[in-house]
Amino acid sequence: MELLRPSNLAELDGGLFVHGGTEVVPLLRDGILHAETLVDIRELVPRGIDGGRIGAGTTLAELEASPHIPGALREACRLAASPQLRNMGSLGGNLLQSTRCWYWRLKYPCRLHGGDRCHAAEGEHREHAIFANDFCASAHPSDVAAALLALDARVRTSRRELGLAELYRLPDEADRRTTTLEPGEVILEVEIPPAEASIYLKAMDRKRWSFPQVGVAAARTGGATRIALAGVAPVPWLLAGPEDLDGATPLPRTAWKVEVARALVRRALTEVT
Amino acid sequence: MPELRLTVNGADHRLDAPIGTSLAHVLREELGLIGTKIACNEGHCGACTVQVDGAPVLSCITLAHAVDGDVTTIEGLRDHPLVEAFVRADAVQCGFCTPGQVVSAAALVAATPEPTTEEIRHAMAGNICRCGTYPKIEEAILHWRD
Ligand SMILES: Cc1cc2nc3c(=O)[nH]c(=O)nc-3n(C[C@H](O)[C@H](O)[C@H](O)COP(=O)(O)OP(=O)(O)OC[C@H]3O[C@@H](n4cnc5c(N)ncnc54)[C@H](O)[C@@H]3O)c2cc1C
Ligand code: SF4
Ligand code: FES
Ligand code: FES
Repeated sequence: MELLRPSNLAELDGGLFVHGGTEVVPLLRDGILHAETLVDIRELVPRGIDGGRIGAGTTLAELEASPHIPGALREACRLAASPQLRNMGSLGGNLLQSTRCWYWRLKYPCRLHGGDRCHAAEGEHREHAIFANDFCASAHPSDVAAALLALDARVRTSRRELGLAELYRLPDEADRRTTTLEPGEVILEVEIPPAEASIYLKAMDRKRWSFPQVGVAAARTGGATRIALAGVAPVPWLLAGPEDLDGATPLPRTAWKVEVARALVRRALTEVT
Repeated sequence: MPELRLTVNGADHRLDAPIGTSLAHVLREELGLIGTKIACNEGHCGACTVQVDGAPVLSCITLAHAVDGDVTTIEGLRDHPLVEAFVRADAVQCGFCTPGQVVSAAALVAATPEPTTEEIRHAMAGNICRCGTYPKIEEAILHWRD
């Protein structure tokens, strides 16, 4: 393996991007990712907070401590992962993290790995999805993405600008990817419009240092409130309103998540409106 | 093999290691600094915690060749009052998690010399203790300068 450290975007030519490496290093070691060339992109990606613009290289620890970002994002970062991981992990890497589905992590030949079964739907799926779970039932693990989705954030890459929702796609038979990022495309910045009030609430299986079972972000701008959820679908999930939860399609052992989501959504709406 | 330069506990090192080698591996196997422990080797437990420029990070999932700052391991904190505080509070059972605990705690008290219980719990959440010495660890940190 080689490690490159380009100092401008024009030098990029393939390879596997690594920023903090908190995802990349374990996945390489487990043989889920493969690479001849690692590309350390830390010199290419802006880091820091400038008004509503946040460099994708900013660490979660820096965001957690910033008084200049909306409450929902700060809280999502504060409750994510562990202190060491927040010191290492970048905002961009967090948005692109892979599923924590244990079958996928253990390399079962499931649909997300290109196979023809969802082992979780047939097997252990207590932590899995309640929406859009018919092809792959994985639950998106990013607290941060849910907060940014509620905040209606936009993403600037080396090639285009897009809404946060457009960064994600549901995997299907023809294409198993869960993001729309193209090979070689770098996330540079996230831009957040001002919000009047926002909050992030997170149900965990212990009080700290846990992935979201259900995460609920709500943000109010003008008269409108946006609600977005982590841990409920293969991608970060936007709700048009609390009644959308009536349309959930839980698996036999994920129905409890619908009730948790209802309670958190109710509480979040009370807080921001 | 690619050259690797590291500053660890104030000493400069220059060695060769294949790309992909973790910082934990280099510390233990190349530099003989075996105070840093490897338990899960995948970023979950905190046993491998070291500081890079004062910030606690997980050396088991840190690429040695990507380290950008000065590394401090438990060996570099030998004389830190926290070590004595852990002994006084009897915050050690099997001791396997202890080096990582002390490294995280040292970063906490450097930034916040008088941390509250809540601040301790937040800053120490990434260091798992299978023996369950958490109340004693909290006590050690609350009274680290006594
Ligand atoms: C044990 C554990 C627990 C965690 N718990 C939580 C949690 O509770 N909540 C939560 O939200 N997150 C959680 N995380 C996720 C964590 O926050 C992310 O792993 C981290 O933020 C990723 O950032 P990184 O810089 O280390 O990414 P890397 O590991 O460096 O990269 C991750 C991926 O993104 C790509 N990439 C990185 N930066 C860019 C960029 N700018 N442009 C294009 N591609 C890029 C890489 O190629 C790679 O595919 C957890 C992670 C671990 C390991
Ligand atoms: S939920 Fe998705 S990742 Fe998990 S086994 Fe099913 S197809 Fe694979
Ligand atoms: S050994 Fe590094 S986190 Fe467990
Ligand atoms: S003292 Fe045994 S793991 Fe902490």
